[in-house]
Amino acid sequence: MLHVAVIIKLEPDFSEGNVSYNSDGTLNRAETKNILGPHSAVACNAAFYCKVRYGAQVSVGTMGPPIAESALKQAQILSDAEELNLYSDRMFAGADTLATAEVLKNGIEKMFGGNKIDIVFSGHRASDGETGQTGPQTAWKLGYTFLGNVIDFEIDLERKVVFAKRVISLQGMDTIIEEIESPLPVFITIDPSYRSIFNTVSQRLAANNFRKEASKRIEDTGQYLKILDGKKLELDPKLVGLPGSPTIVYRVEKIPRAKTNRKAEIVDPSNVNNLAPVIEKLIQISRGK
Amino acid sequence: MEQFDVAIIGGGSAGLSALKKLSDLNKSAILIEAGNSIGTKNVSGGILYSKKDPQGRIYNVEDVFGSDFTSNAPVERLIKKYLLHATSMNKIFTIDMTPLHDYKTNFAYSVLLNRLTPWFAELASESAEKHGGGIITGVHVSDIQWVDNKTIVRTNELEDFAVRSIIAADGINSEIAQITSARGKFTPEEVYFGVKVIIKLPEKIIEERFHLDSTEGSAHLFAGDITLNHVGGGFLYTNRDTLSLGAVYHYNSLLSNPVAPSQLIDELIKNPLISEYIKDEVTLRNGNEGLSKEDQLKVHLGVSKLIKTYNELRDKYFSKDNMKLIESGKFGNLEEVKSKIDSIKHDLNEKFGVQFVSNYVELEFSAKLIPDGKRCMMKKPHFKNILFIGDAAGRGIFIGPKIEGLNVGIDDAVRAAIAISRSIDSNNFDSNYLGNYYESLVNESPYTREMSMIDENYLNLFLELVKDIPMGTIDHRLSFGLQVIKNKHLRGISLRLANYLGYNRILPLIESEKTYVQIPMLLANKLGDIVNSTFVPSIPTLPDRIANLQYNDDSESHIIVNDKKSEFMKKLILLCPTKCYSLEGNDVVLQHEGCVECGTCSVGTVWKHPKGEKGIRYRYG
Repeated sequence: MLHVAVIIKLEPDFSEGNVSYNSDGTLNRAETKNILGPHSAVACNAAFYCKVRYGAQVSVGTMGPPIAESALKQAQILSDAEELNLYSDRMFAGADTLATAEVLKNGIEKMFGGNKIDIVFSGHRASDGETGQTGPQTAWKLGYTFLGNVIDFEIDLERKVVFAKRVISLQGMDTIIEEIESPLPVFITIDPSYRSIFNTVSQRLAANNFRKEASKRIEDTGQYLKILDGKKLELDPKLVGLPGSPTIVYRVEKIPRAKTNRKAEIVDPSNVNNLAPVIEKLIQISRGK
Repeated sequence: MEQFDVAIIGGGSAGLSALKKLSDLNKSAILIEAGNSIGTKNVSGGILYSKKDPQGRIYNVEDVFGSDFTSNAPVERLIKKYLLHATSMNKIFTIDMTPLHDYKTNFAYSVLLNRLTPWFAELASESAEKHGGGIITGVHVSDIQWVDNKTIVRTNELEDFAVRSIIAADGINSEIAQITSARGKFTPEEVYFGVKVIIKLPEKIIEERFHLDSTEGSAHLFAGDITLNHVGGGFLYTNRDTLSLGAVYHYNSLLSNPVAPSQLIDELIKNPLISEYIKDEVTLRNGNEGLSKEDQLKVHLGVSKLIKTYNELRDKYFSKDNMKLIESGKFGNLEEVKSKIDSIKHDLNEKFGVQFVSNYVELEFSAKLIPDGKRCMMKKPHFKNILFIGDAAGRGIFIGPKIEGLNVGIDDAVRAAIAISRSIDSNNFDSNYLGNYYESLVNESPYTREMSMIDENYLNLFLELVKDIPMGTIDHRLSFGLQVIKNKHLRGISLRLANYLGYNRILPLIESEKTYVQIPMLLANKLGDIVNSTFVPSIPTLPDRIANLQYNDDSESHIIVNDKKSEFMKKLILLCPTKCYSLEGNDVVLQHEGCVECGTCSVGTVWKHPKGEKGIRYRYG
């Protein structure tokens, strides 16, 4: 049995109409709707692929406040997870990526009653953090082979190896697709361009069945949810939260507002006649004028 | 290569019924649907009948989806009234045809297929999954081949797979029929062309206007000048909170007198009786010309939000679920809801100059071809190990005011399922064993008889209904004909003669401009009541109608024109419902992006359905 873990993050919903800013231009987190991060969602899709193709069991984990339960629920819809784990404790507050990785490492080690996880998926990065460090640091702490920017993968269950394709973009050079074979266990951060493709009838049928199972499971998320604090995770208080975070935030730069040197003309879309000059301008631009 | 017992191609009401029935017979079957989800490619007029016939078994929707169908299915309204309106300008003469509608009918519901077929799919897939089958959407079958005693199904999206039998439920433009050459494309002589709009109207207004209770509905047929001199007519069916307004014309009649389908709908809407039926109170905004452009936009967006709130609250208030507004705790009683609606209306009017005027709201424009079973039903609805059902087999009932298709497809589906189940049990998929047995089952269907012969009892009922019309008012030859048929003895002889001659010989007499246009106009002029419209409906243009549709565009066209200079294709410039064709020099050129996949151009083109998930996505159907 293949055991797969996904680590996810509850993030602000940056889509139009859902994000709220303070008067100084910083994000108003209290007023902004939170959702399962888009990169985390891609990681959930990869776990679902393992379920359909290899009959994997999926466990999802996240560190965060109690409201992060909503992200776990969204992750369960996407991955049909058997287990949902919320790592929540006041002692985790102020954690940087390294301290977060410590929590996640202990969490992953306790998934499925301590059964060894074969693959851990995480998103490429968080949309509100952008550092992309939590995944690699968790892999390092777990002692797992780390594969980043993975766009496709297959697993040989008998040999217990993964074949992965990862995309490497080097500045000033062509993008490279690297093919890697690695023994399990591995930690994979999945590239946003990843798409799970089911190209046989059986895979499609299985995917449908698991999706249905997922929609039933989320009706009673409590049955699958475990809330684990620092004690249950057997964490060393010195390695988590603020004490476990070597990062020092020296200064926070405000996001500079875009300079208003561009001239914008507002066009009323309700009047079709107003669109003619817009199209004229687009044609001129397309002709390089 | 993966192998399955049965593949059903097409997830409309017939295909889903076949899947449900096969699964209930403990057989494993998969259903392949090209749309991204069930229902998005389906259009119907929309009445679903359950029928009975003393002379033979009919398999009805409730036989497939359970006896609690009427209480559980997302159907619209139980049709209790069936009226035929003869029109001439603003004069309308109405004949109550309800006894004809009730003839051999258990029940009939107005339906919107994108509400109903997903429900069918839920039940069918639940049964199918118990036997390892299920529904796969977003997959387009592109080819079928027979290799080494195996039937290989090829798609644009999946690896090839093998099956032992196939049920072709891929509609009137069946690609399976073309791939296998099981039948030719239907000619304009064999089909009708239908065009429809869904019109929004709050639930309680429908009930008040059409004198219905909360579950009842009515069907209205129209003939006369609204046809613009075509063989066929208009229809208006009441749904729960919408109306289905459409026109159905013999395709040949449209070819000889081409009129844009959108105009056929417009002609219906302009009729004073229909415009009064569809009338609603809608908002009309002013331009806020006095403001700066930026402020105009701000006001525009603010007013949009307020209008949306107003419409949502008004729709809920006029729905049968209006007590939910009270249960939610937001309002103490319905009076408060009404006050809130009036207050928003007042604000919109006083603060933003929004006017409330009589007009109507269109939600969706659609079109499809309809098989006229008496002209085009497949005599052998099978090929090798493939069974054709419903529209794909050209099976539909089209006799005067009697238009039935969904129920015929369901009956076929059950018969196909029975035949295939028998083949699985005896491990024999030979054409002689499977195909011939299915053919015999289809021939036993009372629907097949209806498509082959005139039903004397039905005709008797019709004559009973028109007997009070003063004969002097209508055409003397028809009056003579009616007098002849009214005589029981002469009627018997005439019917035997008609059935001996066959439909092909008598159709030009009964389906003509005289019967669909001239006589109704004569009746309306001489006997009709004057109906005046209280407003002039503001009818959307075709580009507006197309813009309101949802598509997933494919960069590659699914249609290739055979002869760009042909007279047929030149007529398509007008007849294509979404104007996909235009003339460049002497060539007819295609722009496929707006195609609604009706197949009107199919005879003059290489016509395929778009690839999986591509193309039109109907929201109502």
